[in-house]
Formats: sequence, structure tokens, C-alpha cells
Amino acid sequence: MLENIKKEFSTRTLVLIPIAIAINIAIGQLVYVLKLPIYLDSIGTVLVGALVGPWAGAVTGGLTNLLWGVVPPPLQNAFLPPFFYVAAVIGLMAGYFGKRGAFEKESPRWLSVIIGALFFFTLTFFITAFLNLKTDETGYTTYPTPGELFSSYLVVFIVAILAGAAIGYFLLQNGGYAGLAGLATGVVAAIISAPTAAVVFGGVTGGGTDLLVAAFRASGGNIWASVLAQGSVSDPFDKMLSFMVVLFILRALPTRFKAR
Amino acid sequence: MNSLSIYVARESGLHTLNPITKFVLTLCVLFCGFTLPGIWTSYLILTFVIVPLAMWGKVTKRMIQLVIKISWPFILSVFIIQTLFWGQGTALFEIGPLAPKIEGGVFAFHSSGRILFIMADFILFSLTTRPDTLMISLKQGGLPSGLAYIIVTTLQLVPQFVLKANTILDAQRSRGLETQGNIIIRARALLPLVLPLVIGSLLEVEERAIAIEARAFNSKRVETSLLDIPDTQNQRYARIGLVLFTILLIAGRYIWLS
Amino acid sequence: MAIVNLHNVTYTYPLTKTPALQNINMQVDEGEFVAVIGPNGAGKSTLCYTLAGFVPHFFKGELTGSVEVAGQESSKSNLHEWVLNVGLAFQNPFNQISGAKYTVVEEIAFGLENTGVPRDEMKQRVTDAMKLTGISDLGDRSPYSLSGGQQQRVALTSILVMQPKVLVLDEPTSQMDPIGTREVFGVIRTMAEKGMTVVLVEHKVEWIANFADRVIALHEGQILLDGTPGDVLTSDLLAEKGFGISRYTSVARKAKESKLWKKDKLPVTLDEAVEGFDLTPHPSPRGRGK
Repeated sequence: MLENIKKEFSTRTLVLIPIAIAINIAIGQLVYVLKLPIYLDSIGTVLVGALVGPWAGAVTGGLTNLLWGVVPPPLQNAFLPPFFYVAAVIGLMAGYFGKRGAFEKESPRWLSVIIGALFFFTLTFFITAFLNLKTDETGYTTYPTPGELFSSYLVVFIVAILAGAAIGYFLLQNGGYAGLAGLATGVVAAIISAPTAAVVFGGVTGGGTDLLVAAFRASGGNIWASVLAQGSVSDPFDKMLSFMVVLFILRALPTRFKAR
Repeated sequence: MNSLSIYVARESGLHTLNPITKFVLTLCVLFCGFTLPGIWTSYLILTFVIVPLAMWGKVTKRMIQLVIKISWPFILSVFIIQTLFWGQGTALFEIGPLAPKIEGGVFAFHSSGRILFIMADFILFSLTTRPDTLMISLKQGGLPSGLAYIIVTTLQLVPQFVLKANTILDAQRSRGLETQGNIIIRARALLPLVLPLVIGSLLEVEERAIAIEARAFNSKRVETSLLDIPDTQNQRYARIGLVLFTILLIAGRYIWLS
Repeated sequence: MAIVNLHNVTYTYPLTKTPALQNINMQVDEGEFVAVIGPNGAGKSTLCYTLAGFVPHFFKGELTGSVEVAGQESSKSNLHEWVLNVGLAFQNPFNQISGAKYTVVEEIAFGLENTGVPRDEMKQRVTDAMKLTGISDLGDRSPYSLSGGQQQRVALTSILVMQPKVLVLDEPTSQMDPIGTREVFGVIRTMAEKGMTVVLVEHKVEWIANFADRVIALHEGQILLDGTPGDVLTSDLLAEKGFGISRYTSVARKAKESKLWKKDKLPVTLDEAVEGFDLTPHPSPRGRGK
């Protein structure tokens, strides 16, 4: 196993990793400044995972977050180092899915459609659930039942499913496997990052995602729930998007490049 | 100012310390600050530990400037969000639907303190230590040279890269790319930026790998260093002392709590 | 004494069908200055990589034939020892900066650090090398703050400081402006005059004609011509294939057709052209001169 790990770190990999970290930081910073409610700070990580393997991906992710705290301003962002383990896991999963062919095999279109529809359905479910949290006088928080949600928001759910299906069809196309891998990675990322976000910074980072946290707080969620909710919205979509971008990049590269 | 690192060369005691000593110091301050309870801890550490160190390193003004410049968006954001959206609590006042809560304000004060002292801690370190000297010292202590290479190269490459990204941004703008406006417009601006940037850089990888191979990067011989990074026995003792102190502090805090 | 000996070398990159080099037979004596010319895709870079050991050790692929450089044989060596004897520099100066060093002095010393040279010797060698290439005043600068020409000279110095026996240069001036080109050619000329064995891939034929001992013309992976600049660069074969021809040669060739070029041999350099066309100014018959 140690041999496999060492094999990943050829000279090419050692040269690739700083470039991938720079890609992470450059794009991530751009998104932060544009105040979009996503991160897109893992494209380099996923790229290394896909091109080289899980361990190189993990190192890329982990180091990105750690070094982001010490690069010269205005790029410096001190909120990210505590999440280094999340970024490492993202690289690990990207490498794992890469080895299983997520970035090479073409998926059937119907899979992409289902993924899109499923994702938007879940998203809508979450959002409407939080918007309808009721806290009674004794401080008890009650969750609405699925039945209540569907009956009140039926049209919204239908629109969401259709929109998701369309996005799956047109955007994901035959990259369904990559999209699925991204989705799975995003879900894991959301879960493992929530504790740190809530404990260390009270859920606030100064970026566009804060707006979502605010929205969830306003609707009654406590810090933990709001952070988890924000993560659940931003992370899966963000990672799915990142995996798709990497898929398109890989397809645009000359074949000679991938012989490594 | 050299945009590649925020290091400023000064004739100061702090500057002459071995980089590992400063690194250990930075981390110990960080951990102590995090473990000690109370909303005032961060501010106390800032005033009574970090600022005196900065004065010793003759970089106080610069440090404060940088810390404020980087932290203010977060502090603003945290105060607004936490006071206005705190949920149950005592309201300071009420203007229509807005009712900022004191508990939120207190929480924001605590979070802000944390961010300020963390930033100051690391900025002080960066101001007084050149990154490659730290890497050389760590390599002498056993850090794999591949890892050291990655870290230093990243620190130099990232600002270069962002410059390149800005050039591409300007080029695309001059071809009519819209970057201001609503969220859809901003989001659509991303792909024509991301793709050329990423692909261009990936194609460089091979040549750069060849270039460092040509400099015997993979030589099996024992490495030497052009720069001489001095270390003293006193500093070694100090480092061990700092680590022990931090561990005792953390242990003590948890024992005292339970 | 041949310091470079390529015998029947054929090389194919991985995942490709056509060999990049076919049946290359090439010898270079110690101290010779050999220029390599050829159109794009002729295999010039591959030849450089082969001489420098990167083919096949870095690129993998299939190599047949024997490659001997500076006493090492390709199949019996590994890359990290080979590079100590053969230095390689190429087009893009930015890509040759390691990124691991904050000042030019340290950047140049990088190769020496990797090979375990003792500190005092390192400092001396770096100072000497920088004087040789004329960059002694750039020592404290960041490599990233330099111009293209300066960066390329730093790259060359970083290789020269390792004291290779053979210097391989793949179009080192292609991305330079005229000043940078002049600076780089200056360094190459200095090294050649000091007796360094140089293999230079270049397009600027007029410069080659003045300084190279030999010219090798590469075409579609094979050696087309191998001889003195005078012979190779005026050959009709080159004119046929359409590369490697200096302005003076083409002008004189046309002039020869119209019987305006009286000599047998076509010129390659400006001086030869001036001489052949009898363009040296004579005092006017009506005597304005002194």
C-alpha cells in the first residue's frame, strides 16, 4: 500500500500539485469576491484526484486549505485552514471515483436526468422543511411532516423536479457518473464540515454562503442546524459542479497528456 | 512591496530567531488561545502576547494594518448576522422587523476576537519569517523534500497565477464578457475564465517537471543548503518548554472543567 | 574523441504509431558546436531530450539503438545521474524557474544543493557562473521579477553551474525579444569559446552560420544533412524541403539564376554576401574621398 502511495508522487505530480493549489485558490477567491453562494475551491483538488489518484488528491486538498491561510494578502483567507480535512477527503473521494472511471465512462442520459431531478427534489425538501420549522412556547422545535410539505408546496416540488431533470439532461449530459460522484462527495463534505463551521466560527465566513446561513437562522434554526442546512445546499451542488468542470477540462486535454 | 510574500526584513531579535522556533511559538499561541475560556481571552492574548512580540519584531504597525484590512468583512458580517438572527433572546431595540439581540452581539464579539488573534498570530509569523527558511529548517529536521518543494513553490506560484487569471479576465472582458450584474451574469462569467486558465497551466506541468529533473531534483545524494539557518541550544529548550506549557494548559483546562 | 554517439537510434513516444526519431546516427566530438535545424515536428526536441536522457527515462516509450553521451550509455543509466553530465535548457524561461527559491542566487544553487555540493564550493561556483553569464548584479532579485531574457540567462547559469560535459539547448531564443536574444547568444558563444560541447537547436540560421562548427538538418525524424554550415545551409536539398535558408542564400540563389552571382558557392552570412556581390564600397572615380 505504501508503494502505491509513493508511486503517485512522481516529479510530474510534485509539479502539478502547486499548480492545482493555485487553481483552487485563484478560482475560489474569484467566487468569494463575486459573492456567489458556492465555493468552487476544489477544482484543482478534483483534477489531481482524477489525473493522479486519491493520495495526491488528498495532499492537494489538505495543503490548499492550510496554505490559503498563509499566502500573501489579498489572497489570504484564514477561515479555511481548519477545514483542511474536508478538502483532503474531497481529494480522496475524487481520486477514488477517478480510479473507478467516473471521469471516463459515459453515462446514459437518463441517469443524468434522474440525478438532476433527485438533487433538486432533495434541495426543495430541505428548504421548505426549514422554512416551516415551528417553535412553540416551551421552546420545542417541531418539524413539518412530508405530507404537510407536499400538500402546501406541490407546485414548487413539481417545478423543482422538472428543473432538475432539465439541468441533468442539458448540463450533465453523459457525465452522469461524474455528477453522481460530485454529489456524493458534496454530501460527505457538508456533513464533516458542519461541526467545525459551527464551533469555530459560528457558521459565518464572510462569503456569499453567509446569506444562506442567515436565511436558515431567520427561519428558526439554531447554529448547528443552519450550518448543516447551508452546507447541504451549497456543498453537493458545489461539488457536483466542480466534478463537472473537471470532466469538461479532462475532455478538452490532449490524450498525450493523460498518459501518466 | 514584493507581492510574493509579506515578509519584511528588519533588524530585530524576533527576525533572528530560528524559523522553527517562531513556528512553534505561533502554533502554541494558537492552541492556547483556542482552549482558554471566556470572551475576553482572544483580546487579552492579542494585547499582552502578540502585540509585544510584534513590537520586538518592529512590525507592529504593519501587522495591525494587515489584520484590520483582512478581518473587517468578516467582523461586519458576523455582527450583522448574529445579532439580527439570533432567535430567542433579549432585544436591544426594535426598528420594524429588525430586533438585534444582545446574546448575538456577545457571540459576535467572541467570534471577532478569535479571528483577530488568529490572523494577527499568523501575520506576525509571515512578517518575520521567510517561508523558504522555514522549509530548509524543516527539511533538516526530516521533512520530505517533495513536501517542502510543494509548499514553497505554491507560496510563490499562487500570486503569479492570480496575476495570470486577471490577465485572462481582462482579455475576456475586452471581448465582451460581462462580469457585473445579477447572479446569472456573474455565474456565466466563470467558465470562459476557468477553462483557458486551467488548461494553459496543465500544459506547463511537463516542461516544469523536466526543468527540475535537469537540476538533479531526484538525485539520491544527501542535500546541502546554500543558506545557513542558525539554531541555538537555548531555542531548542524554549521550543520544548513552549510545547509542554501548551499541553499542560490544555490538559489543565479540561480537567478543571470536568 | 566522440563525446556523443548515437547509433541507429529510433524512438517512438508512448501511445503513438509514428517514430519521432528514425535511424539517427550522430557523433559529436568534444568541444564541437553543433547546430540542429529542421521544420516543426522534425524531431528536434525529441533529439534534445534523447541527448539529455529524458528520452526514454522520463517519457517512457520505445527506444532502439544505442545512445552514448559523456561516457554513459542510455540503457545502463538513470536520469538523475545522466543530468549531471548533460545540461538541458529550452524555450520557455518561465517554466525553467523552479519556484522553490526566492532569490536568483539560490535558484542557481538549486542544482548544486540537490547534488550535495558543500556550501563553500557552492558559493564560489555560483559567483563564478554568474560572472561568466553576466548576471552578477541580479543576485538578490526574485526570479519572477526578471525580464524574459534575464530569466533565460538565469536558467542557463543554473545549468552551467552544474558543470555539464555537454550543453543541449532547445530553441533558447524563440521566446526572446531582440535584446534577450542577443544576451542569450552572447552566453552561448562564451561557453563555446571556452571549449564546451554545445548542441543547439535554432531557427536563426544566420547566427548559426557564423558560430557553429557543424549543422545537422533534421526532417521527419531523420537526418537529412550533416556537415559544415557552408555546405548544409547552401544545399539545394534544403531549398527543396523549404527550411533552414538564410536571406542571403536565397537572394544569391536567385541572383545566380540571373547570372548576377559569379561565385560557385552560395553565401550564408552577411559578410560572405557582401564579399560575393562585391558590395564593398570603392572610392568613386571622380574622387570625393581622400
